[in-house]
This record gives sequence, C-alpha cells and structure tokens, in this order.
Amino acid sequence: MKKVWISALLAVLIWACSSDSSEDPIQKGEEEQPAPVSFERKSMLINWADNIIIPSYESFSSSLSELQTNFEVFQQEPTESNLINLRAAWLSSYKSWQQVSMFEIGPAESVGLRLQMNIYPTDAEKIESFIAGGTYDLSLSSNRDAKGFPALDYLINGLGENDEAIVSKFSATDKDAILAYMGDVLLNMGDLTEQVLTEWKSGYKDTFVNNDGASATASVDRFVNDYIFYYEKFLRAGKMGFPLGVFTGNVLPENVEAYFKADVSNELFLAGLNAFQDFFNGKHFGKNSEGESLASYLDNLNELKDGEDLSVLINNQINTAREKVRALTPFRAEIENNNPPTAMFSAYDEVQRVVPLLKVDMVSAMSISIDFVDADGD
Amino acid sequence: MKKVFLSILAFSTLLLTSCSSDDEGNNIDPIAATCDDGIMNGDETGVDCGGANCTPCETAVEAPESYSFERDGASTVNFSGQTTRLLMGNEILAALSDETSTDTKIQAMFAHAEGEMDFEDADLNASDKNILSKTAASKDYFSDNTADQSLIRKDFTDWISAQVSEVFPNWNTAAAPGTAGQIADGESTRYVNAQGLEYNQVFNKGLIGALTVDQAINNYLSPEVLDEGQNRANNDAGTVEEGKSYTTMEHKWDEAYGYVYGQNADATDPNADLGADNFLNKYIGRVEGDDNFAGIADEIFQAFKLGRAAIVAQDYEVRDAQAEIIRQKISEVIGIRAVYYLQQGKNALAQETPNYGTAFHDLSEGYGFIYSLQFTRKPGTTEPYFSKAEVDAFLMDILDDGDNGLWDVAPATLETIAIAISERFDFSMEEASE
Repeated sequence: MKKVWISALLAVLIWACSSDSSEDPIQKGEEEQPAPVSFERKSMLINWADNIIIPSYESFSSSLSELQTNFEVFQQEPTESNLINLRAAWLSSYKSWQQVSMFEIGPAESVGLRLQMNIYPTDAEKIESFIAGGTYDLSLSSNRDAKGFPALDYLINGLGENDEAIVSKFSATDKDAILAYMGDVLLNMGDLTEQVLTEWKSGYKDTFVNNDGASATASVDRFVNDYIFYYEKFLRAGKMGFPLGVFTGNVLPENVEAYFKADVSNELFLAGLNAFQDFFNGKHFGKNSEGESLASYLDNLNELKDGEDLSVLINNQINTAREKVRALTPFRAEIENNNPPTAMFSAYDEVQRVVPLLKVDMVSAMSISIDFVDADGD
Repeated sequence: MKKVFLSILAFSTLLLTSCSSDDEGNNIDPIAATCDDGIMNGDETGVDCGGANCTPCETAVEAPESYSFERDGASTVNFSGQTTRLLMGNEILAALSDETSTDTKIQAMFAHAEGEMDFEDADLNASDKNILSKTAASKDYFSDNTADQSLIRKDFTDWISAQVSEVFPNWNTAAAPGTAGQIADGESTRYVNAQGLEYNQVFNKGLIGALTVDQAINNYLSPEVLDEGQNRANNDAGTVEEGKSYTTMEHKWDEAYGYVYGQNADATDPNADLGADNFLNKYIGRVEGDDNFAGIADEIFQAFKLGRAAIVAQDYEVRDAQAEIIRQKISEVIGIRAVYYLQQGKNALAQETPNYGTAFHDLSEGYGFIYSLQFTRKPGTTEPYFSKAEVDAFLMDILDDGDNGLWDVAPATLETIAIAISERFDFSMEEASE
C-alpha cells in the first residue's frame, strides 16, 4: 500500500512540475502522452537495403564487368577507338561508383572499400615502378594509392598528351607489363566489390535491418553518421574543398578527382550529389518510386525550421548547390585559370550550407548524436 | 480515513515546496524539510538548493584571482598553437621590413609547412601551424563563405608580393606622388608604395582582424565551436582529451585567450605587461591608455577569466555572457583604433606644411584597422559592425580622391569615414581621437 502511495506521489509531482499547464492536468496525466511517433525505422532500413543499397551495388558490379569486357577488347587490340570505348566504360563505372561510395557500413566498412577504390591523387611514380618491376601486392594498404579508379585514370588518360601518344605506349616493349597491371587493378576492384555485394545478400542485410533501434549502435544512428561524414569529408572536402585549398589556403588542382581526364570531376561530383539526394528521399535505385527515407522520417516528425519543412529546406539547398556546380567549367580549369577561383568557392559554399541542416537540425530531430567532429583545431 | 486525508495534505504541501521559487519551507514532509535546514544534504547540490526537491541553486560562478586552472594538480591551460602563430607573425613583419627578402620567402613563411626552414626560430620551423590557414577562417563567418575567404587571403598574399615588387626596389628612393620609396616620419623612415601606403602596416593591422579577432571571437568563443559534437557532454563529465589535462571545451576557450594573450610573459596575469605583441594585445594596450576607455583591458581579461571558470562550473549561460562581453570590447578596440588613426592622419595633413610621412604612417595603420572591421561582431548577432562590402568601399574612398592615393586624400574624406565608424559603435569620434 505504501509503495502505491509513493508511486502516486511521484506521478503527481511529475505533472505538477511540467512546464505545460495549459491543459487539464488530470487528462494530461492519464491520456495526453506526447503523440507516439508512428514512423517505423525498420521499414526505412528495409527500403534502404532492398531498394537502394543492394541494387546500387549490383549496378556498380555490372558496370565493372562492362569495364572488364572493354579492357579485354583493348588488350587484344590496343587501338585508339578501343581506347575511347575503354575510357567511356571507365567513366561510366566511375559514376556508378559514386552511387555506392556513401554506403561505407558493414561489408564495405570492413574491407575499407572507399579507400581501396578511390584514393586520389594517385601515385603515378609508384604505378610506374610497379609496372617496371613487375612485382607488387595490391592488397597492401600502402598500395591503395596505386590502384582503383584513379590509377586507371592515369593509365587510360595520363600516359600521353593525346590518344595517339597513349596508344603508342601500348605498342612499345612494355605494353604487356602495363596491360598486366591494368588487369590486376581491375581484378582487385571486381573482387572487392563482389565480396561486399555477396555479404550484403548473404546475411548482412538481415543484421542491418534488424538492428532497428534508436541508440548509438543502431543501424539508423550509425548509418546517418556515416552518411553525413561521407557528405562532409568525401563529397564536400574531397571533391571540392581540398583542391580549392579551403583548409590550407593553397589551391591544389592536382587533387581533383580524375585529374588526368581533367574534364569530368564535376560529373563525378554531381553523380555523388544526386545519389546522396536520392538516398535522402528514399528513391528506389533506377526507378521513380520512393519509400521510407530520412525525408519521410522528418516529415513524419513534422520537423520545421523557420516555418518550413526541414526536408524541403534540405532538398532546396542541395538543388541550389547542384545548380551552382553545374554552372562551373571543369574543376581543374576553374582552379588553374582563376586566382582565386571565386565561382568554385561560391559553389563550395552552397555545398557547405547543406551540412548544418543535416548535422544539426536533422540529427537533433531524430535524436541521433554525431560521433565525429570537423577536426580543425590546434 | 484521517490518515489518507493527511497524506493528501502532505502531497499538496510537497507540491508547493517542490515547484515554488522560494523555499519558505513547510516541515510536514521529511524530504522537503531538508530544503531549509541550513546544510547540504540529500541530493542537494548546494546548501538547501538543487537536487530533485529543492529550488535550483543560484550560486554565481566564481572566477579565480588569476587565469589559472588546474585538474588533478596539473594546469589545464594551453594555447601554444596561438603563441606559435603570433611568433610567426613577428618574423613575417620583420621580413616585410627587410628589403632583401624575396616574395617566395615571405609567402613561404605565411603558408609555412611543417619542417620547412622558413623561420629563424627552429621551433617555428618544426611546427605544423601556419597563419594562412587561419586567416579569415572562423567557423561563424567563413565556413560557408569561402568565396570571401579566398579574396581576403589573396589580399594578404598580394600585399606581400607588392611590398617586394613595388617597394623593395625603391628602398633607397625618395617617395613622391606616383613613386614608391622612403619618407621621413619624425626620426623614423617609412617605406610606402606609389600611393603613400605602407604595405607592411596594412598587412599587420589587417591580420589583427583576419587572424586574431576572427579566430578568437568568431571561432573559439562561438557556441558552434565550444559545443561542437560531444563537447558539452564531455565537459560535464570531466572527460579530458586523450593524453591531455583539459576538456575540449576548456581548450577551445583557451585558444581564444591565446590569440589575445599568447605573448604576455605571465599567462595567468597578462595585463601586467599589456602590449607585449605586435597584434591585438598591443592595441588593447593603446586603447587602455586613452582615459576615455581606461578599464577596457581589465574588462576583457575578467570576462575571459570568468567565462573559463564558468566552463569548469558547467554554467554555459555565464560562459556565453562573457563571450559576448569579449566580442563587444574587442570589436570596440578595432573601431576605436580605426577612428584614431584616421583622425591622426587628417591632423598631420592639416598642418601648414603637411607632414606626409607621419600622415601616411597613421593612415596606413588606419587602413589596416578599417580592413579589420569586417571581422568584428555586433553584440547579439553573427554580423560584423561593417560588412566586407562596406569595408571595401571605405578603403576605395581613402585612395580615390586623386590619382596618387594618400598624397591626394581630402580631410573631409577621412572625417566622413571616421564619423561613419564611430556612429555605429558606442563611442564618439572625439573620445576615440585622443
């Protein structure tokens, strides 16, 4: 009996001290609990895995097969026209990569896929020495800057001034060594991708989807951290900020993605940004349909900022950033031809303006805590 | 039944005591009774206050005598990175006044890379810090304004290049309208460009704003930085940085402090040798020396000290209130010195025989302080007192009265700008002119 009284006492204390006194206290105490959020995190996870992540990896995997096919044709017959086809397949696969790069969780995280596939600038000297020496171990972490898409960029676009000069490298005495190296790089990329895709399909998907709680170790919390980290570090800083020298004050045009191709960095950035936005909106890969997403989660929470839907503000800001980037000449040209490259800085600023909307407003609405900081102190 | 009734009475009393703002007390309930027994007991966090039942404590944060903070017997204050940058600044200023310096050399000092032999001081060469990357680099003003950031950084690198390419070759030439060279300012000799402007002064006074003011008030004192990530939770829990004695939040605050006091001999009592650097500290000292503003140096220091104590006490309202005081006072220092030098320059030009050397020196300093206005901060806002566009317009006005810049500047031009600046601050032009 005594216990019951103490509980009642506590209950009474709680409503008595609540800051909201506009309603009948008894009603509030008994019925007016804060409306339970009807959003199901699990259905969002299922949508992510089934309709976005796995199909994106499948598409990337087949783009790599296509690249491999074009490589084999070029290997048989290293002509200019086959080089052009190989280059187109490389670019197509590189863009496809931008659609999976953000999924660095689970299988991709355990193999460190992003850094295996796309460290740039690539180390051309190291690549040359591997080709000349003929012995190398592409599985070593110290060799990550000599493989992946940036290494192919060098081998397909950087060996000569023009296509004729590049193709001439493949008729000289060391052609077999170069082709062998390219083949090994492609093999490495294909193996890693298969491994990740297989793991997603053979168990990790269930792990991911079933870890549907709300805690620092739950899938949504973890992935949202990874997703924002990707935006900040790899889209914003890697593709634009570092080459612009935002953090150092010195421009570094050689740090643009696909430096040797020179005119596709913007396309690669935009492919990444589009994939990022589609993911935000839960858009099914390769389709126009949408499912539960961060955007629908925010809408469900009815999250407003300055009287507007936060999901709309985020989409608008991404759209603004996209327009600004689209209006630029190739990044490398922007940086090399302008001092300072003001137009690209302005575009970067619009890209940056998405960050606080995600990293402050969105995560606080979802009660997700951010586990990384923009380490820039001293 | 009687018992039940008494219990209900007890609840209602308890309700009153637990929610009322005073704790007159009512001794019916034993738990509530501890709220006025004159001792700290139960879960109270102070005598008769705090905890679940008593009213919140209102104890003020107490600042220590000096800027001295410890944890487990070790000092928690560290701002070596700021001192390093101020020392780099000193060497750059010296190089800008040495006509044998090359552009490459000074630019390398400005953009120092770890291990490069850019400085005389070996410790500076070993450092991974530099000034360029912290120029116009505050979180509040520049994280999404790299367009202006890049233009500002270019101003500084251009001033270095112009000093080397325009002024150094004419080091031993007499300055004249349209000709760079040297000009007497009393016992001193000044080195100006063809427009009468001293690039090294512009660089120096501009850096006060772009580096020290911007980093201190728009970066490290910003809640965006102090509270970033888990900083608050870590500070509340006393979780220190790995291998360090301080929490991240404590350190951020100290980094702001370091940009103001990083070269004073005694970091715990920096006003003892106020004016110890070539940057902000020196000009806080100058403003302190004007009777109209005496006390400002202590106000700034006290606010730093109390704000830091508030972080230790986990009282973030007090912390942010002190940051606000610091922002306002430091902004005033910039405004006051801008007006002061404009007036001094105007007076030197107004003499029967215009004293060009003195005037150019004052106006070059004024030019730099006007430049720095874009890094100030209006209280309660995230806006500077003057925008970059307004600053750029002032700077253009100073130089475009004739073909030869300061040689042709009209007193009315200087006066107009001085009035415009003082009107936006809380001081009068007369007060700042002394």
